[in-house]
Amino acid sequence: MSASLDRGLNAFREQIDAPVAAFFSSCVHCGLCAEACLFYTETNDPTLTPIHKLEPLRRVWKQEYTFWGRYARAFGLTRPVTDEELTDWETLVYDSCTMCGRCSMVCPVGNDIAYMIRKMREGMAAAGHAPPDLVGATQRAVTIGSPMGVKLPALQAQIRHAEEELGFSIPVDVEGADYMLLLSSMEIMNFPEFISAIARIFKHANVSWTISSEAFEATNSGIQIGVSDIAAELVERIVAAAGKLKVKSVISPECGHAYMAIRWEGPNLIGRPYDFKVVHILELLEQLREEGRLRTTGKETQRLTYHDPCQISRRGGVVQQPRNLLNMVAEDFVEMPETGTMNWCCGAGGGVSSNERADDLRLKAFNRKKKQLDAIHPDAIVSACSNCRIHLEDGLEEYGMDMPVLSLTETIAEYLAGSEQAGSKE
Amino acid sequence: MSEAELLLWVRGPALQIATAIFLLGVVVRLAEILMLGRKKDLAEARGSAVAGGLRTIFSRFVPDRGTLQRSTFNVVAGYIFHIGFFVVLFLFTPHILLFQDVLNVSWPSLPTPMVDATTIVTIIALLAVLAHRLQNPVMRFLSGFQDYLVWLVTILPLVTGYLAFHRIGAVPPPTLIAIHILSVELLMVIFPFTKLMHAFTFFMARYYNGAISGYRGVNS
Amino acid sequence: MTRISNDAEFRKVLDGLEPVRQRQVAARFVENVLVLCSDERLASVLRIAASSESSQEELAEALKTARATTFACHTRCGSEGDWSEQAGYFVARAATAALTPIGQMPSGPAWQAALSSRMAQTSQSIVSGDDIAGQESNQQYQILSEFLDS
Repeated sequence: MSASLDRGLNAFREQIDAPVAAFFSSCVHCGLCAEACLFYTETNDPTLTPIHKLEPLRRVWKQEYTFWGRYARAFGLTRPVTDEELTDWETLVYDSCTMCGRCSMVCPVGNDIAYMIRKMREGMAAAGHAPPDLVGATQRAVTIGSPMGVKLPALQAQIRHAEEELGFSIPVDVEGADYMLLLSSMEIMNFPEFISAIARIFKHANVSWTISSEAFEATNSGIQIGVSDIAAELVERIVAAAGKLKVKSVISPECGHAYMAIRWEGPNLIGRPYDFKVVHILELLEQLREEGRLRTTGKETQRLTYHDPCQISRRGGVVQQPRNLLNMVAEDFVEMPETGTMNWCCGAGGGVSSNERADDLRLKAFNRKKKQLDAIHPDAIVSACSNCRIHLEDGLEEYGMDMPVLSLTETIAEYLAGSEQAGSKE
Repeated sequence: MSEAELLLWVRGPALQIATAIFLLGVVVRLAEILMLGRKKDLAEARGSAVAGGLRTIFSRFVPDRGTLQRSTFNVVAGYIFHIGFFVVLFLFTPHILLFQDVLNVSWPSLPTPMVDATTIVTIIALLAVLAHRLQNPVMRFLSGFQDYLVWLVTILPLVTGYLAFHRIGAVPPPTLIAIHILSVELLMVIFPFTKLMHAFTFFMARYYNGAISGYRGVNS
Repeated sequence: MTRISNDAEFRKVLDGLEPVRQRQVAARFVENVLVLCSDERLASVLRIAASSESSQEELAEALKTARATTFACHTRCGSEGDWSEQAGYFVARAATAALTPIGQMPSGPAWQAALSSRMAQTSQSIVSGDDIAGQESNQQYQILSEFLDS
């Protein structure tokens, strides 16, 4: 037990850098971060105040990296962080935080609290205090290649199914293709029509692409649980496959944290830059649209709104692209009251939806999204993350709201101009 | 100790000690932060970290609409007492003369009646934020000894300064001034050990925040 | 007897059906794979979908139940997936599609129900290892033909 705590505290020490120190030095306990966090606003539970979720990390910083903290520790005047405290903090760090980063946007002194939560998870996991469901997912990711246990034969079956529907083949392991598409297990299992949609769009736009049979998983459980070694290994698999197939770019699909993992954390996890580019599927679709290669006919008449997946939008930087794409196929697109980089999290990312223990809290937090929807009365919600989609559906069902949740990519595919609709005669 | 001796000590040795602790403390705290360093970001940049960082230092002064709506009192009262404090500290003639003595620079002052009124407004704002801190569930939960100590050492110079200027109190004016200066020295000595450091570190925190986001092409 | 031999014809016919008929034929597609779903609620949901006399309230209730079943059967993110159970999820999705009003589903509720039903078979085949290429589609063409002739 003590060995685990030591590993955890060591991980905390390693994670503390100048930004972390500047953040902790600047916090004035104003509490504004709470009002930006959907877990607080929908429960009014002060323990869910974002900065409070970091308290053990803060104490380690104070006691090890400030002169008066070290002084006080030398005189036995400080309280060391205990294993019991880390146990208490597990639900704060994992169940009530998706690392959405909304708190980071409002803190008046500029603290990036989500950045610190990500770092704190490294210590929590090392100390053995990560949720069991996440541990299971991560183990599966390492041994099977997918956190949900999706193996190659299953993907192949889904691909075959799509090919049958499409009437043309889907490229697998094509060397020299421009783009290598990753898929999240969530999509393969719950929204496999995504594969057909992409295939149709890419055929229409004449994109040179492929899927790798050796590295098709986009989800990175390592960054959700906070074990950088595992996160790095999962990224290395993708890097190896991209190198083997000599692709120019890797496409991150409709999954929030997958994008964060491969686009922003990846090179830092493996300690070197990639020799390929990474694009989110929305970035690629927008590029195709700008180049005139994505032509659509017809428009959705339903009143649509867009839910920004936090890791893609606020934390990822892909904000305008989905809007341009949606405006192409929607007659009545209305923004949520607080939108773009200030949109509210759905409440399920960062491992929260994988964690059964967090179910009640997650559904309570959904109320925040519900309030946004109640203000604009859309007919349907469009988003670009499979996890957001499932959780939004869950929340809508829980609160008796009748509203479909659509994938942006699949919606675009529905309105493609030309004969590339399903059931082609080829 | 006579009143003259007290005043001399307070303006002499005590001030030197307080200033030394303040300056040394602030420098050490800032160095401790910077020495930790930050790993270079190896991901391909979408935007400029430096531009983002500098931008956020200033843009974070303006709260987003949602925060302003949800936490109106916190934001407004916070601005009032901060601005008030700076006005009183930097735009009051006797203070400017003191700075001129020490730093050889001077700048225009505000008419004393205005500073006087600002002092009252600032004191009221500080009383209000204390009440709010005690009554708001989140703030009450987050607050500890340090938060209340810092509040005290912040309001004391304002109160003692007002009393000294208006010669209110059962002690002779020189002693009132000595008490005022002591209260400032208390603030200076406490400063590097508390959240008051935010006055210097908030530039860094906002910069890092903006840099991290700016690198990804997001204005934070 | 109307002969349908490929997806282009299949989809064209489906899109041409009026809403009530779309719903009814969709219900038949789902019934064909109902055995793959262990959730008992779907049987009554399909009965309501198949009847031309179901009221708006009954349809709305049935849709709610179908959605609830879909959610109950899905594999949550990060948990260990089981393709046989996932087959049940797709059956539920097919049932949901069957009951979704056309306005909310531009690609056509019956077509979506057909696709999801096929996906249910695909899921099951991942577990069984059988090669089922084209099987479910052909059965659906048959179902549609019989429906048109009835």
